[in-house]
Amino acid sequence: MELIQNLFLGFSIALTPLNILWMVGGAVLGTVLGMLPGLGPTTGIALLLPLTFTMRPETALITMCAVYYGAMFGGSRSSILLNVPGDGAAVASCFDGYPMAQQGRAEAALAISAIASFIGGLIATVAFVVVAIPVARFALRFGPPEYFMLMVFALSATAAISKEALFKGFISLLLGLMISTVGIDYQTGVLRFTFGMMELQTGIDFVVVIIGIYGLGEVFKNLENIASGGGLQPIQKKFSRIWISMDDWRRSIVPILRQTPVGFLVGVLPGAGATIAALMAYNNEKQLSKEPERFGKGAIEGLAAPEAANNACSVGALIPMMTLGVPGSGTTAVMLGALMILGLQPGPLLFQQHADVAWAVIASMFLGNVVCAIVNIPLAGLLVRVLAVPPRVLYPLIVALAFVGVYTINFSVVEFVLLVIFGLVGYAMKKYKVPTAPLILAVVVGSAMEQNFRMALMLSDGRFSVFFRNGICWVLFALAIFSIAWPFLSSWLKARKAAI
Amino acid sequence: MKRKSSSLLAFGLLAALFALVFAASALAADFPSRPFEFIAPGGAGGGWDTTIRMTAKVLGETGIIGQPMPVFNKPGGGGGVGLAYMQKKKGDPYSVIVYSPPLILINLTGQTNLSFKDVTPLAMLINDFGAFAVPKDSPYRTIEDVMEALKKDPKSVKTGGNSAFGSMDHIQFLVAAKAAGVKDIKNIPYISFQEGPMAALMGGHIDLLSTGMAETVGPLEAGEIRVLALTSSTRVDADVLREVPTLKESGIDATFINWRGLFGAPGMPEQEKAYMVEALKKMTETPEWNDVCAKNGWVKAFMPADEFAAFLEETNGTYKELLTEIGLFKAQ
Repeated sequence: MELIQNLFLGFSIALTPLNILWMVGGAVLGTVLGMLPGLGPTTGIALLLPLTFTMRPETALITMCAVYYGAMFGGSRSSILLNVPGDGAAVASCFDGYPMAQQGRAEAALAISAIASFIGGLIATVAFVVVAIPVARFALRFGPPEYFMLMVFALSATAAISKEALFKGFISLLLGLMISTVGIDYQTGVLRFTFGMMELQTGIDFVVVIIGIYGLGEVFKNLENIASGGGLQPIQKKFSRIWISMDDWRRSIVPILRQTPVGFLVGVLPGAGATIAALMAYNNEKQLSKEPERFGKGAIEGLAAPEAANNACSVGALIPMMTLGVPGSGTTAVMLGALMILGLQPGPLLFQQHADVAWAVIASMFLGNVVCAIVNIPLAGLLVRVLAVPPRVLYPLIVALAFVGVYTINFSVVEFVLLVIFGLVGYAMKKYKVPTAPLILAVVVGSAMEQNFRMALMLSDGRFSVFFRNGICWVLFALAIFSIAWPFLSSWLKARKAAI
Repeated sequence: MKRKSSSLLAFGLLAALFALVFAASALAADFPSRPFEFIAPGGAGGGWDTTIRMTAKVLGETGIIGQPMPVFNKPGGGGGVGLAYMQKKKGDPYSVIVYSPPLILINLTGQTNLSFKDVTPLAMLINDFGAFAVPKDSPYRTIEDVMEALKKDPKSVKTGGNSAFGSMDHIQFLVAAKAAGVKDIKNIPYISFQEGPMAALMGGHIDLLSTGMAETVGPLEAGEIRVLALTSSTRVDADVLREVPTLKESGIDATFINWRGLFGAPGMPEQEKAYMVEALKKMTETPEWNDVCAKNGWVKAFMPADEFAAFLEETNGTYKELLTEIGLFKAQ
């Protein structure tokens, strides 16, 4: 009963005209920033910081949250239409979203992405209301050994993603791990593979790798076609309504419902993140699917699952910040800083001392998800027309977008060189049919996995038993083993069935 | 004919030279006459970024400096990229950059061969202090307890922080440990968490967290952690932190100041430098600046150029000694 009262209080505050105005503004800004490669929620919130100082605390927090999940809605637009992910969380949306657009199903792809994001966000918000505090407590039990096991589980996903080309997938994975070792080693302060370049000291930003391999790689591949006189015809000329068919819906709803909790739980962990959530969701669905061969070739459920998961993740990530005062990601760290300037101390006491603020924000998350869905569907109707541009004109534009995107990461031209290198790597990988997903996953996970491995050993004075110190470790380990074995097991079972 | 043109040329050159000299003296007289370039050597939203943006805001709003002061971010190399950028601005009085202790550390650990001597110190503006926190159920009640345990076995307390090995969070604890008489500071385990060091402490994964004092306020208020000591020289007059003793009160003769200050380009002309120092001094005396400091939890600590330079020299020596002891010092 108290819960409902609190929610009512929250809605009564969140529904004031000023708060609604800022929420819509934040959602639109977030969506637009999310769409642009290289820019993401962190940049959006940092840009908004000076403005928030003049706001009331609840308005500031409502606006920042709106930017945050708005970016999750927007991030996949360019994944689907151009094969250029807006940020890490949108990588998995390329796998099936882009093939869908190429097959003339861009409307359905954009629609399911907004719908899945909406449902994922909404369910996660309900979960936030009900289980925030116990879940945040549970997340604290994750230390370096648990994170290491989680990363192992995430990496094992590549076995499923690249089942068709195991050896090539392995090469791709190793390449990704190599890229992730560049930069300062936090545990010893030693510089690795920086070749005397200061710009490399903080490592290679994975957004550069993603935009290079996916965006530029795709452009380079298509240059072949354009050089031989193609590329005059646009992919699509006529556009229908941004909506999905009953069949699409039937295929997508179960994956959305299944992967939302995955995204939510990964989000609550301070050391994971939306990229891992989305890739895990994609992998899970591929393994659970009766027709895994459809994945990567425009399966709508392969797009719905990561979209639901990354939005659920962004809601989950707010939990440790709001209930414990512990930021779990770059974005929430910036938000925490902003709140402290406003004189608000997030933490267990937030819900007691500033119940009005806390509940107003929760209420605004319900409303914000609706706003984002409403904003995104008509916006998608406009964006989809990019496919009416002939590749000869479109691809140079993608190149420009890619360069602008990577420049905004560090405002340095070193990223340009890296971008071109990764573009060429991406081209070569496509040409020789080496799967790119393992590389991306390894770049995202690699550094954290290595660091957590060594951190765990430092904590245990070098004893390896630390990796099996509790149930969490064992469960994650079992999941990893199962994840690697399942593709083989399932094809073996199928073969046996066929034999009988 | 030919002769005439060459003399004309000579006259023209002379005139141009006069114009230049005149322009230069005019520049010094009505400095600043064009917009500044304020630089944050880190990303948007970080500590450096906030400091310089707030400075620009107060300088502008109070009318102390009449020219625009847009802020640009030059992140990378732990501040090294910004330092390299300033070298291109040699002698330019319009480029101003913000730094804190990493300016000294990245040079000593060999991340860059540039040092604090390659920029012109203008003024220290604010101080922040380190805090040493333990989980609420920790057996350590005081910082002396921790040091006693470390003296017996330097591996017995697992410490952690946000920054890399040999960087700020690590160094501030080593300053304390060394002053307390711990012998093998090299062997004290320090684990760098790039994400969520506070979560690692609250979850009991590390025994002691070395961090900034602002980060500890929330969990401390909620009773999730205990803060054993602050690295300031006197008690900090703010909320819950008022109860926390300094290292000195705990019998450890050490302080660690996380200073933030502004620097000009190398070879900045004296006159303009004096102007900037004066402007910054004026700024720190305004109620607007007091307000900004209060909101951000910064301790006001104005220190003008020469004093600041001497302070940097001294700190450089202390850090160098510590980094040599843990084997991270790299001579340039």
